[in-house]
Amino acid sequence: MISRRGLLGGTAAAAAAAGLAAGSAVTGAAASANQETFAAKRALEFYGPHQMGIEADLQAVTNFVVFDIKDTTDRAAMLRWMTLLTDDISRLASGEPILADPNPELAIGAARFSAYVGFGPSLFRKLGLESQMPSGFGPLPSFKVDQLQDQFSGGDVLIHIAADDPIVLSHGTRGLIRDSLPFASVRYSQSGFAHTPGMVPAGLTHRNLMGQVDGTANPKPGTEDFNEVVWIEDGPAWIQGGTQLVFRRIAMQLNTWDQLGTASKEEVIGRKLSNGAPLTGVNEEDAPDFAARHPNGLTVIPDFAHIRRASPQNVTDRMFRRPFSYEASPASDGTPDVGLLWTAYQRDMTKQFIPVQRRLDELDLLNEWTVPIGSAEFAIAGGIARGEIIAQALFS
Amino acid sequence: MPPATDNLGNDMRKLATLIALVPLLAGCAQSGSVEITDYWVKSSEMSTTGGMTAVYGTITNTMGEDVVLIGGSTDAAGVVEVHEMSMIGGEMKMQEIDGGLVIPAGQSVTLEPGGDHLMLMMLKTDVVAGGTIEVLFDFEGTEDIILSDVVGKPAEGGDEEYHSGEMEMDN
Repeated sequence: MISRRGLLGGTAAAAAAAGLAAGSAVTGAAASANQETFAAKRALEFYGPHQMGIEADLQAVTNFVVFDIKDTTDRAAMLRWMTLLTDDISRLASGEPILADPNPELAIGAARFSAYVGFGPSLFRKLGLESQMPSGFGPLPSFKVDQLQDQFSGGDVLIHIAADDPIVLSHGTRGLIRDSLPFASVRYSQSGFAHTPGMVPAGLTHRNLMGQVDGTANPKPGTEDFNEVVWIEDGPAWIQGGTQLVFRRIAMQLNTWDQLGTASKEEVIGRKLSNGAPLTGVNEEDAPDFAARHPNGLTVIPDFAHIRRASPQNVTDRMFRRPFSYEASPASDGTPDVGLLWTAYQRDMTKQFIPVQRRLDELDLLNEWTVPIGSAEFAIAGGIARGEIIAQALFS
Repeated sequence: MPPATDNLGNDMRKLATLIALVPLLAGCAQSGSVEITDYWVKSSEMSTTGGMTAVYGTITNTMGEDVVLIGGSTDAAGVVEVHEMSMIGGEMKMQEIDGGLVIPAGQSVTLEPGGDHLMLMMLKTDVVAGGTIEVLFDFEGTEDIILSDVVGKPAEGGDEEYHSGEMEMDN
């Protein structure tokens, strides 16, 4: 008799085995459905035309783990690494322990766990894969506002992990890092958060630590508009269905921001703090009226306002933002160390992120209180079907 | 409850009992199976050519009778033995299981680090993370099982100390 339910062999078998092998104590304790919360049961789909965790409502907590590969890691080793990650993520997304998990009892629920994998320009250079880079992808130019630190910047490989539960996130992150260490070392990991499920209506906006509703005016997931802004359709096979990510750590100067009154804060952004509506509108979704003027002749949305500078000047310079907040330890004088783990997904960063950031770099009053201190770019591989491996076509 | 319904209920229970017995009666040798799931091989600093490692997984026996894992074979190793961890002289050591590892009828046994495992010694190749090897599990009481895609998972070398008549090595 031959049994072939191994790696990538099907999550049904894995689920059955998990119940027998590892999860029995956990599922037993939580078996009474009354004790299990809704958050544990919600799961995101791992397989599909795109990697998971991008076209999805914000989860509560996140880790951006970035690696530099070892000198001995070649394309074949990359493929073996991706083989492990593919199986790991598929199990974690279902709330199951990964293979060889030393702490399977921590797999207590899916909690909308997601993880996707991307590759920085340095990886393509190290492996001689420059010809596989998607169009428009490469190191970002420097901007005047940047005060970048190495400890938050660059890197060969990104695993962006998120979940609605901090324990689920921590456990999943540890497993993915453990299975990465034969191939790479951790360059940095950045932790962030949005809202606990149930705090605000599900979606892609959260209230950042400056008090603003962040992530508005995004393409709507599931629409053709979203596809055109985010998902790459041509180029090398491995990137089709993928995207380009700009990932920035943006520090907030809260002490000085807090000295502004509500009206000033709203003018800096061009939106109301109460609900994120443009100063010329009532609801968050209302389109800003950049021509509207006060009786005194001044524009309602000032020339220096963030949303005026960031608004698209043509059909191509749009992107999909999915920002989380971060909080590190405060300084001894109490100065907060907080900000955004800011992400922008797009087909072509040269046509989309860069022109917008140049406009913001020239003039955006928000720059007074927000400082990019980390920056990285990653090409995110396309989605996978059952039996496939993440970025298989890139490393085969 | 009316008597008629009660009688019907008794009959149904008898019928259900009979149906439940059918597979047991007919299936002493045929019914049920042995499956191995969630299997992997440890990749560590020890799992290089000439070194050793171990294979883990969950063996589920849904047959009516016990089966015994008595050994195995793989092109990746010169020696394959079924091992257990046990206290020897006050220390946890691993040693070959006399007579093999019994998987009782209707039960599962998990091979895991720090417990029972299929030991591969005198490795002929490096067992690398994310790579796969083929392993044959040799059973008494059922057909052998060949796993063609046992994946190498990174794990610590482990603190098991090997105990054997012929050799003694630190793991």
